[in-house]
Amino acid sequence: MSRDTTYRPEASRASRPLLWIATLLAIVTMAPVAWLVGLSIKDNRELMLGTESVFRVPYTLINYINILYSSQAFGWFFNSMVVAIGQTLGVLVLSSLAGYAFARLEFPFRRTIFVIVLFGLAVPEQAVIIARHQMFNWFGLHNTHIGLILPGLSSAFGVFLMTQFFKAIPRDIDEAALLDNASQLRIFWKIMLPLTLPAQATLGIFTFLHAWNDYWWPLISATRKEMFTITIGIASSQQNFAQSEGLGFLSAQAVFASLPVLIVYMIFQRHIVTAVSGGAVK
Amino acid sequence: MAESYRRSHWGHAVFVLPYLTIFALLLAFPLFWSVWLSLHKVDLFGPGRFVGLGNYARVLADPVFLQAFRNTVVFVALSVPTLVALGLFLALALNRTTRAASFLRGLFFSSSVLSVAIVTLIWRFVFIPGEGLMPLIFEQLGLQPINFLSTAGWSLFSVGVATVWWCIGLPMMLFLAALQQIPGDLYEAAALDNASPWRVLTRITLPSIARTVMLVTVIQIVMQFQLFGQAHLMTNGGPSGTSRPLVMYIYEVGFVRWDVGKGAAASELLFLIILCAAMVQYVVSTRKPEVAE
Amino acid sequence: MRHFLLSTAAVIALSWAGAAQAQTTIQLQRFFGACEPDYGKVTDVSSAVGECGIITSLINKFEADNPDIDVNVTTVKWPGYDQLNAQLASGAAPDVVSIHYSAISDYQARGLIDSVDEILAAQGIAPTSFTEAARGGVTKEGQMFGLPFDNWTMLFHVNLNLMKEAGLVNPDGTPILPTSVDEFFAQGKQFKEKTGKPYLVQILANETAVYARMLYTFLQQQNSDFFADPTKIKLNTPEAKSVVEFMKRINDEGLTTLGLDYAAAVSAFAQGAGGIAVNGTWLIGDFVAQSQKSNTALAGGYTVYPVPQLFPGRDSTYADGHSWVLPHKDRTPEQTAAIGKLFKFLADNDFQWARTGHLPAVKAVFDTPEFKALPFRGNIAKIAETGRSLPGAVQRQFPIQAILSEELGAAINGDKSVDEALSSAESRINDLLANI
Repeated sequence: MSRDTTYRPEASRASRPLLWIATLLAIVTMAPVAWLVGLSIKDNRELMLGTESVFRVPYTLINYINILYSSQAFGWFFNSMVVAIGQTLGVLVLSSLAGYAFARLEFPFRRTIFVIVLFGLAVPEQAVIIARHQMFNWFGLHNTHIGLILPGLSSAFGVFLMTQFFKAIPRDIDEAALLDNASQLRIFWKIMLPLTLPAQATLGIFTFLHAWNDYWWPLISATRKEMFTITIGIASSQQNFAQSEGLGFLSAQAVFASLPVLIVYMIFQRHIVTAVSGGAVK
Repeated sequence: MAESYRRSHWGHAVFVLPYLTIFALLLAFPLFWSVWLSLHKVDLFGPGRFVGLGNYARVLADPVFLQAFRNTVVFVALSVPTLVALGLFLALALNRTTRAASFLRGLFFSSSVLSVAIVTLIWRFVFIPGEGLMPLIFEQLGLQPINFLSTAGWSLFSVGVATVWWCIGLPMMLFLAALQQIPGDLYEAAALDNASPWRVLTRITLPSIARTVMLVTVIQIVMQFQLFGQAHLMTNGGPSGTSRPLVMYIYEVGFVRWDVGKGAAASELLFLIILCAAMVQYVVSTRKPEVAE
Repeated sequence: MRHFLLSTAAVIALSWAGAAQAQTTIQLQRFFGACEPDYGKVTDVSSAVGECGIITSLINKFEADNPDIDVNVTTVKWPGYDQLNAQLASGAAPDVVSIHYSAISDYQARGLIDSVDEILAAQGIAPTSFTEAARGGVTKEGQMFGLPFDNWTMLFHVNLNLMKEAGLVNPDGTPILPTSVDEFFAQGKQFKEKTGKPYLVQILANETAVYARMLYTFLQQQNSDFFADPTKIKLNTPEAKSVVEFMKRINDEGLTTLGLDYAAAVSAFAQGAGGIAVNGTWLIGDFVAQSQKSNTALAGGYTVYPVPQLFPGRDSTYADGHSWVLPHKDRTPEQTAAIGKLFKFLADNDFQWARTGHLPAVKAVFDTPEFKALPFRGNIAKIAETGRSLPGAVQRQFPIQAILSEELGAAINGDKSVDEALSSAESRINDLLANI
């Protein structure tokens, strides 16, 4: 992307105040997070007496040490990772293949099938969740990683996005390849796929976040604690009856569970931004 | 030979087969089966009996469903424009290459990677009286504290605040991407004309990204219609159901009250609502082709 | 990805190896909270405080005593029935589940849980060893469908330090509590004027149970038979109306904290935010522990009483209890034996559980010197007689409770009129019950 070289009037003169407002917004945005971190480094017993003690010493790392010794957050994190990565890879493969065919190949009933798939865009997960739950019973898929990954693969959004993207690639590229007698699979793999990397990144981020944040399906499918994802695990200790684990520990657990993704995000931030820029629908 | 990919060929369908299989098994079949369930009086644990459209009649006559529907529409109507406007604003403000802008972009996007349970945990800590941040601030300012999570109106508002905070990253990123696709010469021309920043924004920038605005709006409408986790964990739909969204209604009817047939009927209605919204969107966007670049 | 697959395999292999060591595994699912950092390794039950601490250390102790049995505990968000339903529907139910007496009929009526009669008999636990209330709570159609663990009610937890400030303490040091609605408001007003704090600390946010439990209590006190027919509730009555108006007046006169959810209400009371916490038996142990520390708001000034009789009629309090049930499934004889041992252990240690504040389910515990030595048990002993539950045949009691709390909340906040709320609650509940 050559975005750095082009001239942007609103990036120079007029938008100074904009940047200040954005900074102000950022501070407001971060206040809750700072509050959470503050709670996480306070002793539970002290918080019991009043949370305004967050603004006073002493601070402690005891909650984090407790996590290392006793929390199940590691397992939850692992499950969330497996599910999110598995679903992302699955969606990328399925959507790329289907998107390529819908956009650039001709086969019987292509348009009809595509329209049917588009209808799938409007089907909310909730409309099928009860039936899905019963289906997964038959196949014994509850409380498995596969069972958590599969439902996300049916989303029509990826197919739609990839089809749009493949359509945008100029025809002459694969026509030239066909002249060389390359097979369809080869064209797809060697020529088309590399061109779609930005789109793959966009779709990948969408899917990863969606899987990572899924709530309802894991709530009813991952009912064994070995299979809890972060969302379900934290929710299960969040509003427990009786004042079990104090505020401090809960906060530390939340910070701990978010940290790895945030770190990965920080590292890849530049690439993500570029990827999303490149892959956005034009 | 060059025409071969144009020729209709069964073999080409192999590419769509994997997705179609998943689509048929995990979306199409469950959808039909949900419709079938919605015509039955049935619980979670065994076969039921056919009741025709009885479940639909019960859902539509249920004031709680109507209330949840209203809540959801209000929520979508308020959160989506906020997300679009705020996302656009942030994208405009942060569309620059300085380190500060890049840092802020990261910051605004970072909340998107938090899981919903953590988002709600954070916002409970902010709103809850006694131990929360807001009550503490209100107290310092000498204001009468508001019970955000347990006052009609405010509870849905609080869920909305948490949602916007959580979801703002993606719209911002998509807008940033679109802004960077605008050809630089458009701006150069504007600069030569000494156009005011406002004119540049309304005459060049906004028209150029109209399609992205549309896309972001549609994505957000579909997503926010499915609001569930935030409300379930922050307010449990209360007080008196004023923050209960449609999806939570379906969840309660199906999994808490065991009334699976009624839950399925409600979920089909949700499907119809979203389908209608999508249709309207489709009609509107095809009628105005000049919006596209 | 490869790394992920490898590590997945490693984790699975490890968990298999772990399971192979212990011969029998029991999947136990419960609410009562998670407290791994404080109690994850504790086996000295007598040192534990509170529901979570005691049940966690009890299970630890059981595992230590029975090295051949592995109890795999899953903690769920209270009350966990939606997850249990999903599990039962998918045939993935745990072996032992914590459940309220009031929820048993739902599962029993549908054949989803098994009778525990044989398991108890095999362990030599006589049904008569449990209190009437406890046995009644789990008995359906002549069979016991759960191991009773306790009985509980809502209580008035009192901050004596603040009551003294308000001049609401008798010469003998006991608090002056109301005996009628009028007294309630007179004393509440006095409390508010003297201390500047609300009289009651109530759970009003994100809440699905408390309003309903208080309504049941005050309806019982007026001898209102609102569930004469277990498939129909009757709420359009003068009795119900007077209760809701009473509850609304508490809010209107500013005699209660507002907007607190469960956890916030518990800590607010511990921080001295108000005079009386309306909450359950399960907090006695926690609050006693608070009052024994020097720098807390409750220091040396905590006591607890049943919800007083405010309506002329009879003294009564809505009561429920916790039990352990067995979801219907095939079990090996080893598993059955292991569950039997666990039940025997839990019954034998019912005193430890009673330290939370719950009334014991095992009759004999009442007569032990240890139990009699527990603080304030004399104050609340009478709930064994005045505690009343809903008729056992009423199904869906938890959803009913949620509907009631929602509608009552609307009336109390002023979002609906009292009559509207009551008739809306009645029709919603009856629609629910008519469509089981």
